[in-house]
Amino acid sequence: MLLVNNLSFARNDKEIFKDLDFSVGPKRIIHIAGRNGIGKTTLIKILANILIPKTGEIYWNGKNVKKNLRDFFKNSTLIMDIHTSKSELTVFENTIFWKRLFSSKIKQTELESIFKILSLNKNSKAGFLSKGEIKKLELCRLIIEQKKLWLLDEPYVGLDESSIKLINETFNNHIENEGMIIFSSNSQPQLKNMDTIHLENYANN
Amino acid sequence: MQTINSILAIFYREYKITFRNFNDIFTILVFFLLGILIFVFSIGPNKEIFNYISIGIIWTLLLLSTNLSINKFYKNDFKDGNIILFYMSGLSFEVIVLIKLITMWVFFQLPFVIIIPIASLILDIDTEKILLNLYVFLIGSPILTSLASISGSMNLLNNRNFAISSIIIMILSIPLIIFSVGIVSATPELIEPQLNILIGILFLFLAITPWASAACIKISLRNI
Repeated sequence: MLLVNNLSFARNDKEIFKDLDFSVGPKRIIHIAGRNGIGKTTLIKILANILIPKTGEIYWNGKNVKKNLRDFFKNSTLIMDIHTSKSELTVFENTIFWKRLFSSKIKQTELESIFKILSLNKNSKAGFLSKGEIKKLELCRLIIEQKKLWLLDEPYVGLDESSIKLINETFNNHIENEGMIIFSSNSQPQLKNMDTIHLENYANN
Repeated sequence: MQTINSILAIFYREYKITFRNFNDIFTILVFFLLGILIFVFSIGPNKEIFNYISIGIIWTLLLLSTNLSINKFYKNDFKDGNIILFYMSGLSFEVIVLIKLITMWVFFQLPFVIIIPIASLILDIDTEKILLNLYVFLIGSPILTSLASISGSMNLLNNRNFAISSIIIMILSIPLIIFSVGIVSATPELIEPQLNILIGILFLFLAITPWASAACIKISLRNI
């Protein structure tokens, strides 16, 4: 359970949002919506403890995240708007690296079936993939890391319709397994158990 | 156990990426050798002058070659978010810096062990001095890597002024250059004390680099 209390963030003395309170429990999805430049990416980064908020606290399972960073990181996956796959490595080598980095217990056959479902060629270099394919490869990390809380920044950008369907299915599966998802997006996906936060309501005008 | 797994995974990945980009290392080595040749051409075939300045030439070019690898240090991993990924896997920034230091030293400094004797032969240095210089290089090159790490992490958000990162390295490397060149041309009884000072500098930099670079990376991450 992630609890956000009285969060505000300022950049160069200009307040971006303030008084943001919400919580996400098991089987819930939070959709962060808002126009461009409103601070969706910033909010996701604050939730992942990469940026530091001006005021406010974030609690994970009742404990302040700042003091239990390792525990929080052990339970959360962050998919950013930039792509962490390395263009020099093949699709398979990238996924194997993530598997080792996060000490995941995912099996080789599972990885192969993921590639098949996403129609990725495991031996092609990540540098030769198209934008949508790189996004798909990045989203593989959700399955590989096997964490409870998913933080996603614009997961739908560049994906075709069938992939979007697949992601929505994955989201549904995840929340059925007591997972939690927070994602920012400009599209309006139809998902169950979803609450939408309109960041415009918290912006400081 | 998990931490060790993550560290080994990063090492393995760095090794793969560096060998897929082997021309990077090769270019730096060619730069070093060409620089030596240009010194030879510009000064002319005067053996006496080279007796005085040959070690200095080698160290100057080592410093300049190190400048070429600054951008390889953190910039790529910083831009595509891999540093955040390492951080979220449970490694602290200090450990990430240490991993980078080791890989960068192995891939971008150790190849010079082969090239320096070749360069020394071009400059007609005695065998004894070549061996001593290699020994000094093994102590001095981790210092160069540390300097590149500090300078590279300081300039993560700097996309315009490339020269400033080189200037930081050059200023910080003055004591290193003084002692490493001094040792090779010193009288026998002065070699050991100077070596001790150099080893002292090495330990100083090994101690402060992880903290300094980690602080710089932290600041950079919080300002994008």
